[in-house]
Amino acid sequence: MARRYDTRATIFSPEGRLYQVEYALEAISHSGASLGILADDGVVLAGEKRNISPLLDDVKYSEKIYKIHDDLCCSVSGITSDANVLINELRMIGQRYLLTYQEPAPIEYIVSRLCNIKQAYTQYGGKRPFGVSFLYMGWDKHYGYQLYQSDPSGNFGGWKATCVGHNSQTAISILKQEYKIGETKLNDALRLAIRVFSKTLDTTKLTPEKIEIAVLQHDDKTNQTTIRMLKDDELTALIKQYDDEQSKLEADRQKQQAASTTDRK
Amino acid sequence: MGDDIMSYNGGVALAMKGKECVAIACDKRYGVQNKTIATNFTKIFQYVLFENVSFFLKVQTVSERLRFRTNLYELREQRKLKPLVLYNMLTNLLYERRFGPYFVYALVIGLDPKTGETYVFDSDNIGAISDNVNLATVGTASDYIFGLGELFFKPNMNADELFEATSQALLNGVDRDSASGWGAVVYVVEKDKVTVRELKGRQD
Repeated sequence: MARRYDTRATIFSPEGRLYQVEYALEAISHSGASLGILADDGVVLAGEKRNISPLLDDVKYSEKIYKIHDDLCCSVSGITSDANVLINELRMIGQRYLLTYQEPAPIEYIVSRLCNIKQAYTQYGGKRPFGVSFLYMGWDKHYGYQLYQSDPSGNFGGWKATCVGHNSQTAISILKQEYKIGETKLNDALRLAIRVFSKTLDTTKLTPEKIEIAVLQHDDKTNQTTIRMLKDDELTALIKQYDDEQSKLEADRQKQQAASTTDRK
Repeated sequence: MGDDIMSYNGGVALAMKGKECVAIACDKRYGVQNKTIATNFTKIFQYVLFENVSFFLKVQTVSERLRFRTNLYELREQRKLKPLVLYNMLTNLLYERRFGPYFVYALVIGLDPKTGETYVFDSDNIGAISDNVNLATVGTASDYIFGLGELFFKPNMNADELFEATSQALLNGVDRDSASGWGAVVYVVEKDKVTVRELKGRQD
């Protein structure tokens, strides 16, 4: 690798790559995973918690999932301090739009504005890019439920289901097989999230302390969006449901195996 | 009306304390000097509902800018605003424009649902803070309403008595002023609910 070209963040390499941006993406791939799934009647964001020491004080609301605006919530993967700065900026973008236009900001507007800021750090100033990828979930009156992903390069895209962070490739391939476009309801999305996390998390057993899940739903009658963090007992119930399904599958498989071996005899 | 910018539109608001309840009332006139343009312009803007309730005299820009700050506060702090915090935010907002002020007088009322503690504050247009008072009035008919308010006020009134006292003070006070009136809206805030009542007074 041509090391001389790494030192300045805003310089291309001879192969036409921006190394600092790629290094930022590398930093993110070592951090806790964030998973987002779009359902017909809501959106789910799930995050893998890394800070689970029992010494941690209980004051903070959440480690990975933050509310940005009335109908927009995001999940963070990467360097937490960089994320805090960007989350503050996201909130300000939302409020400025509300002040000027007296209505909630469209989701893509907020994402796009932040991504322009992120892009500036890859082109001007000589400062390093932000080492954070966000997953945004939201509702607006223009496009309904939406899920977006943004990364340090300033690129963003809309997704039906995606994952960033640790083991995200594994998660995405599971999602590609199991996500049913147009047929997923919120419960299916939640079960799918648990299923993906059980396979991608390093731990053998999934527990409520290791993950946090937030659900966004919009009630058309009252025109209110609710963003809800799942509580420990709901998480335990979901995990138990998944475990029961797994043991049932395992039991069926063993029965089939036993049946097939007897056939052979 | 003369040249006084603060009496250009007219209007008035009154706030009174009771026992674990507070009431705020305003008239509904919107006018330009002696011409009445609308009779449904309530000047009360509600910030937070039910947990820590605070109300405030509305003039569009100030209320929108205050909403900007309170929204960011609630997002960052993950909790609802307390009335005193809202009041301090508002007076700070007004004083930022010390030498080019907003032309609005403000009233803030609040109630802590856990302790039942009541707050009534008022402010001039550059954000001078007041103490937590029993009775506060702002507007073109404020002196008249203040006199009536002092008369009707008793300490530790319950919600119904408070409503009566507030509405009578306001409705009768605005009759003395040509720039206020056309009915009234009264909000009575108690620990568990907020009651809004619209009153029909002399329609002149």
